[in-house]
Amino acid sequence: MGNILILLEKVTNGNCYQSYSYCADDELRLPTINYEENQNLTFVVKRPGETSAPTETKDLSELKEKISPAPPLFQYFLDGSRRTYKVDDIELNRRIFPIMAGQIGVACCERQSPSQIKCNELENNLVLALPSEANPEIRNPDLFLNSLKDKVNQLEGVQTAGVKFSSIISYSSKVDSNTGDKYEHKGIAAIQDEMINAEKKVVASLTAKNLLSEERYLLKDGSLQYKPMRTGEYKELSKIKNNYRWVIGVSKLFNPEFSKDKRGKSNAAILAKLPLYHRTPAYMHEHDIEQRERLGDYRFSIWYVRIRDFKYSESPFAGIVKVEKILITESENENGLESDLVDIISTNIINERNPVCYGKDTRWANHLYPIYLTELFLKSKYLSDLHFINLF
Amino acid sequence: MKLIGKIIATEKVPTTVDEFYFWTDKELIIKPFDVVKVKHIKGSITFGVVEEISHLTDSSSFLAGYISSDFGDVDYQQYTQRIGMNYVKARVVGNSEGIYTPVLDGYSVSLATEEDVREALGLKDVENPLACGYIEMYEPPDNITIPVNFNSQFLIGPEGAHLNISGISGLATKTSYAMFLLKAIQDQYLNKEGAESVAYVIMNVKGRDLLAIDEPNSELTDEEKSIYKMLEINATPFQNVKYFYPYSKNIVTSTYGRKSDIESQMDLGKANLYKYIFEDDKESIDLLFSNVDDPNQTMESIVNYIVTGQGGFGGITNWRDLLQEVYEHTKSGKTGKDKEITVLSWRKFYRLFRKTIEKTTIFANTLSSNPNDRETRLRETILNIQKNDTYVVDIAKLDEETQGFVFGDVIRAIYELKLGQIEHRKEADIPSKIIIFIDELNKYASKEVPKSSPILRQLLDISERGRSLGIILFSAEQFKSDIHDRIKGNCATHAYGRTNAIEVSKPDYQYVPKVYKSMLTRLKQGEYIVQNPIFRSLLNIRFPKPIYKQFKNG
Repeated sequence: MGNILILLEKVTNGNCYQSYSYCADDELRLPTINYEENQNLTFVVKRPGETSAPTETKDLSELKEKISPAPPLFQYFLDGSRRTYKVDDIELNRRIFPIMAGQIGVACCERQSPSQIKCNELENNLVLALPSEANPEIRNPDLFLNSLKDKVNQLEGVQTAGVKFSSIISYSSKVDSNTGDKYEHKGIAAIQDEMINAEKKVVASLTAKNLLSEERYLLKDGSLQYKPMRTGEYKELSKIKNNYRWVIGVSKLFNPEFSKDKRGKSNAAILAKLPLYHRTPAYMHEHDIEQRERLGDYRFSIWYVRIRDFKYSESPFAGIVKVEKILITESENENGLESDLVDIISTNIINERNPVCYGKDTRWANHLYPIYLTELFLKSKYLSDLHFINLF
Repeated sequence: MKLIGKIIATEKVPTTVDEFYFWTDKELIIKPFDVVKVKHIKGSITFGVVEEISHLTDSSSFLAGYISSDFGDVDYQQYTQRIGMNYVKARVVGNSEGIYTPVLDGYSVSLATEEDVREALGLKDVENPLACGYIEMYEPPDNITIPVNFNSQFLIGPEGAHLNISGISGLATKTSYAMFLLKAIQDQYLNKEGAESVAYVIMNVKGRDLLAIDEPNSELTDEEKSIYKMLEINATPFQNVKYFYPYSKNIVTSTYGRKSDIESQMDLGKANLYKYIFEDDKESIDLLFSNVDDPNQTMESIVNYIVTGQGGFGGITNWRDLLQEVYEHTKSGKTGKDKEITVLSWRKFYRLFRKTIEKTTIFANTLSSNPNDRETRLRETILNIQKNDTYVVDIAKLDEETQGFVFGDVIRAIYELKLGQIEHRKEADIPSKIIIFIDELNKYASKEVPKSSPILRQLLDISERGRSLGIILFSAEQFKSDIHDRIKGNCATHAYGRTNAIEVSKPDYQYVPKVYKSMLTRLKQGEYIVQNPIFRSLLNIRFPKPIYKQFKNG
């Protein structure tokens, strides 16, 4: 039994089982339709997502050629990822909980020239997730976790490995019979939240440094809709909204069922037939009323762009990316984004379609290369699974 | 110290005692033969010589490249270039503390300083330094130029001897390089006191190449002169030069040199015309047949028969009579007492012999008694060679058999001289080393030359015993692979100039790394890859343009 687990037994009055440790991620490597995508958004029926409120898809082939000599709109690329592990089981108060740990990484790369991509910001943290029961007392859970973190970092084994845990978090040990969520998933969700926090931190830092502007957008991998958070800090979220003025979220995987036409009906079949270099009209979405309290009262424009011909891809949705932008100004919230801006953003995304990671990643048709590079960079910064597991 | 990359050691490509890999920026210019240094354990520094440079991207296949251009659109411009880097393979040439464990992953690699390069390549503290060129490394502003010295004891003995230069005609400038080295040697020994002394015998086999080596090259630029200065060689042409032209009545029939030039050289006492007189030179006629296939040694028997005066050859006093007597033997029933030599063999001998005797003008009955005619016997002159003498023997316009005959005669004379068989010369007066330079060595020592060839035997003897006798062979040829193995094997120094792809595919170049091989096919004029026992690896050196007069059209 490693150093950390002995310490945990001591401070939590628990009993570690020395069970099998493994990486808890199931790496999603196949181009599948993400049916499980959870969306806490509602379609805003009466409001279009863009000023011209088109009803048809729009061909951007010509515009794409026209803007191609100009410098690209996107200069920064952000990706966050995490790798989670179940390191052991601990018995607390006659109940068994998994001890989860994770490596989280958020990187923002800057394209300085077509041939130069350099890391601008990197958050690379190790975290440990324990059930909330791990705190023997009711009071001051944060204090307990903080002091535990310091103790862990002072352990000889941790210090000789030259690593440092950035935080220890707790996951709810409440049994939820409705969702049937396993503790393991709760732990993973807690680590995921930690990663999202790190993402926000990086975006905030870019904004603070004044790096983003209308000519230098940030392209973020994945959705901008942050899932309900364990510690819903509403105020904080509304504050960070302004950080997202020059940020576009692009998702490789999405649930086509969530794409809607102007009446709010599923648009999946139309989407499958979206012609090359076309975009759908943008529609406005907002958080569900009951979630708004926790997630923030802000709206999104969402649309889809086809960047690769479907005759070359494996599924009708491969080659389509989902684009999101948070609506910031009053007028945007009322009338949606300027249609011209939507076009410019879409064509810039289309022009990011090459090079491809064909042969390296089966999702190549949905990948945008600079983001793919950022992802690779992040992964290269992780400790190897064996190394990490053996810290415990 | 400019950092240029870091060591990579992977599961499949580890660093070893011999080699290592490192990455560099894809836009960094570095080239094969550049020296790099790597930080190593215990504060030591490992030096490596760049061998191969590869560019790598994350593209998994050619197909991905095609797809990335929008499925084959050649005009397509992308916003982001594929991520790529260069990785360099380097060969370990040494470590400052003698530590030869492999260099470690992630350690930094940097360009070397002049001092480092000297240490890495073994150019530091070379004893008996003798300039052999200079190396240029890196790109501006980091470029460095370093003079390179041989240890002369490894070039002209006693530690190692003989030099072989190979490369294709014109582009490789073999003669120029040999002459550059000879000039460096002459500079060093000309005014040197002591037992060591050198004399030179240079065969001119092409045009007027070497017929004015004591006249300055008026086209030499100041820049090139400054290179000579850097290499500590006087920018003056050769000294103590004597030219030997084949005799003919009007001079020009037997040489490419201009009559007026030769006459003025003769007036200055620098030029002589050489002749072969029957009485004194008949023993050398075997050399005329060195390239004739003689499996049953009948030619040898005939030569022996003639030289020993058997049959009717006893009383002959001139070449014409000899030819006549040989002719007599070609008639059936007149083979003399020696029945072993058939008429057919005599006929063959006669045919070959007559061709040479009638074609060339150097076979004569007598030498002119008028000193102004400057007629001489080559053999006699060579036996009297003095310290620091530079003899240029012109054989360019002679036919092939006669060229062989003269060259064979020259090396035979040198051999006899150095063996101490000459009675009238004191040991101390004979130059301690005689350097012979011969271009087109393949004519005399190729693998196809008959084993019985007297010139080949002489050359083998020189290459094997010459180091101790003080006879040093500087030879050049187009294709090294043609040359007899024992001659190549005995050369301590090899210089490789530009050659072609067929040549580098031969086994002679097996040990040369692939990239160097293809470099050999691209070397510029004045660029050589040299191999010498004191250098830790092959060196890519340059040398300046010749210091003596050049004739543009040969």
